[in-house]
Amino acid sequence: MVNEILFVAVVLFLIGIIGVLIRRNIFTVFMSIELMLNAGNLSFIAFSKDLALNSGSSIAMIVMAVAAAEAAFGLAIALLIYKHKNSLDIDLLNLIKG
Amino acid sequence: MSYLLFIPLMPLLGGMIISILYILGLKYNMKSEKFFGKIALIGPFISAVLGIKLFLDTNANEAVTHVVFEWMRVDELALNLGFYVDSLSSLMVLFVTFIGFLIHLYSTKYMSKDKGYGKFFAYMNLFLGSMLILVLADNPALMFVGWEGVGACSYLLIAFYYGDSENVKAGNKAFIMNRVGDFGFVVGMMILFFAVGVFGFDFASLKANAHLIPIELVYIITFALFIGATGKSAQLPLYTWLPDAMAGPTPVSALIHAATMVTAGIYMVARFSFLYSSVPAIGEMIAYIGAFTALVAAIIALRQNDIKKILAYSTVSQLGYMFVAVGVGAYSTGLFHVFTHAFFKALLFLGAGAVIYALHHEQNIWKMGNLKKLKIVYIPMLIATLAISGIPPFAGFFSKDEVLLYTFASGHTGLYIILLFTACLTAYYMFRLFFVVFHGKDESFTHKHIEKPPFEMSIVLQILMLGAIFAGFLGLPEIFGGDNEFAVWLQASLTYPVNMPHVSHATELKLMFFGVLSSSIGIFIAYKKFYRYGEQKSSLFMKFIERKLFVDELYSVVFVKTTKHFSRFLWEFIDNIVINKIVDYSSYSFAFFSKRVGSFIQNGYIRFYLVYMIIAISLMAMFLEKFV
Amino acid sequence: MEFFTIAFSVLAIGGAIGLLFFKHPLHGAMSFLVTLLSVAGFYALLSNKFLFILQIIIYAGAIMVLIMFVIMFLNVREKELIDENFLVNKFILGALLLAPFAYLLFSSVANYTPQNIALAEDFGTIQSIGLNLFTEWMFTFELISILLLGAVVGAVVVAQKESKNG
Repeated sequence: MVNEILFVAVVLFLIGIIGVLIRRNIFTVFMSIELMLNAGNLSFIAFSKDLALNSGSSIAMIVMAVAAAEAAFGLAIALLIYKHKNSLDIDLLNLIKG
Repeated sequence: MSYLLFIPLMPLLGGMIISILYILGLKYNMKSEKFFGKIALIGPFISAVLGIKLFLDTNANEAVTHVVFEWMRVDELALNLGFYVDSLSSLMVLFVTFIGFLIHLYSTKYMSKDKGYGKFFAYMNLFLGSMLILVLADNPALMFVGWEGVGACSYLLIAFYYGDSENVKAGNKAFIMNRVGDFGFVVGMMILFFAVGVFGFDFASLKANAHLIPIELVYIITFALFIGATGKSAQLPLYTWLPDAMAGPTPVSALIHAATMVTAGIYMVARFSFLYSSVPAIGEMIAYIGAFTALVAAIIALRQNDIKKILAYSTVSQLGYMFVAVGVGAYSTGLFHVFTHAFFKALLFLGAGAVIYALHHEQNIWKMGNLKKLKIVYIPMLIATLAISGIPPFAGFFSKDEVLLYTFASGHTGLYIILLFTACLTAYYMFRLFFVVFHGKDESFTHKHIEKPPFEMSIVLQILMLGAIFAGFLGLPEIFGGDNEFAVWLQASLTYPVNMPHVSHATELKLMFFGVLSSSIGIFIAYKKFYRYGEQKSSLFMKFIERKLFVDELYSVVFVKTTKHFSRFLWEFIDNIVINKIVDYSSYSFAFFSKRVGSFIQNGYIRFYLVYMIIAISLMAMFLEKFV
Repeated sequence: MEFFTIAFSVLAIGGAIGLLFFKHPLHGAMSFLVTLLSVAGFYALLSNKFLFILQIIIYAGAIMVLIMFVIMFLNVREKELIDENFLVNKFILGALLLAPFAYLLFSSVANYTPQNIALAEDFGTIQSIGLNLFTEWMFTFELISILLLGAVVGAVVVAQKESKNG
């Protein structure tokens, strides 16, 4: 069972990467990042059960806390960007060009 | 022998101190001639005294090396700053310091009222120090240091009156021609090192190991070293700097271009006699070059009108004699002629200097005349002229006669005839100078007052006159009852070729007779032409001689102009066009590529950057596949 | 057991694909919610009671709500949406780009032999995880609290109105 769950975790992770690559909407990109974090969490818990350690669960909790902090902060920034550019396109943010 | 270090050191220190004082003097405007003069004499005086002591301390059969410190050690090259004292170097030190001191004394009065008085003595002291380093060096590299040093001082002193650009050009010419010769010296030194330098590069070791060098290399080494001698001692084809060097003050001409620097070439050949003695073919080449130099210089001197230029060409000619001597293997003979020549040539130059001083710096002999009333200069000059013409019993006779003897004995009859004829020419032009300057009509009416030479100048002339009279007796051959102490003294330092010829006493006397006869013929012809007053006709051939056989012009066209054109070509074509284009193009292509490629890759879109990251990760993953 | 594993896998991957391909972010958020809930289901399957609850409360209940709140706050209309065409093509391109990396991950997963160590009685309960958190991961815990503080302060500062003067 663990192998299948790990397999799912890997697939979710890869889908998350591709999501960040191909989408231009801020929110979709953000959620793809969350997807990657979840995939990581899933593999942590899977190993935690397999090795009968509680450390994996603790780490997963910590990751969740980080994700929550990042969500709050990132969304504030997304709001500011929308106010500035009046659009949700991340391709408009190219001031680091050159 | 710990005082050995002071022999070159005192003049060098003197030179440094005088330069510092001179620069300070320029700044604070205090230039006392007496002060500089006294300081300038201290160095040479101490060297002269120590030189005499050294000579007395030296054992003729023993060579002593005194190392001051280790100069450098690089892989197999181990050089020391050391001094090598054997009979040869102690002899050279003796007369170099002695004549050097005398000339310094003379110049304290000759150079008076010159605004560069202190500078002059700084340079002279520096020169004396370098010459002593050259003579006393214990390895060829240190000798080369002295060699270069005297070349540099020669340049500084020739271009002493730098206000006139002609003098500076003469100085440049001297230095550059010297440099051409120096290249040969360096090449010879390098090959010598590669051949046998592993066992030690000082003269003692080289002498001991000379037999290890393959004979082809010996040919190359001796040839290359001789090129250096050609430059330094003004032989064909690198002689044209010496007449131009007369642009310097007369004491400079006396010291550097008569008595000491130009004899460095002969000294070098004698020093390396352990190489030269085994390659008689090179010696033959040296003898031929020497003989032709002597002849050509004598011919040119026939029609010169400047008193110093006549003496300059006569120096080149006499140097030719010396090289003939060392060329046929008679090293001590060459050095004997160096020794006597130093005395009478220095005397000639200083006497000419006294004449120039007396006539307020007039140098054209046709504007002089009837100066025999200036007895204090007349008598030494007469003695010196007789000496250089080879009239017994003066010094020049013995040494010149020995050169002729060995030339004849070695079988080179052609060279002997050339040298004999040159002796005739030498006597002719020297007495031409003497009669025109001291006898004949008084052209010096243009100069109101004849300045008598001061005491320092005349005492030097007297001392050198004694040398010109008596120096020859040191090499008195057996016929006259002597035992040639000169050659005996030098025996141990020189390596003679295997079969030195012997001549019977009868032949020797016959040769002596012919020598004196040819000189007398020259003197007689000069007497007839110039005793009263002579003007010289100028036929086409004479015009050719007067223009110094157009050698300078030839050199200018062949070497100077081609170099100029070549550099111009390099500048205008290669530098301006080729290299500039390359640089422009490379910067342009950089800008072009940055604009096209750079702006595309770095466009500010995060997604693109992410793609690059992923590409990198995939590459790493591919690399890591192996370990899974 | 197998049925639930397969069901949850399908839901999870399906939700992820949906997130990728829906134009409107709100629709994407919805399908992402499905993914999160199925991952919670996975946690339950792995006998991790605490994290099952935590996933639902924090991820589905807090973070997703926050995101949806912000999306709806910005009132994104259909016509204002960005034109994103050829998503499928880009997806395939991306998959190709990731192929080596994917291969690495998949092969390492496939080579893993599960050890299946016996679980303790209180595995996955709040008490045991809490104990582990406050003993072994104490330092990290403190740091996380500072991080959260920083995030709160930062968010407030960043989203302030412009300064009073102008």
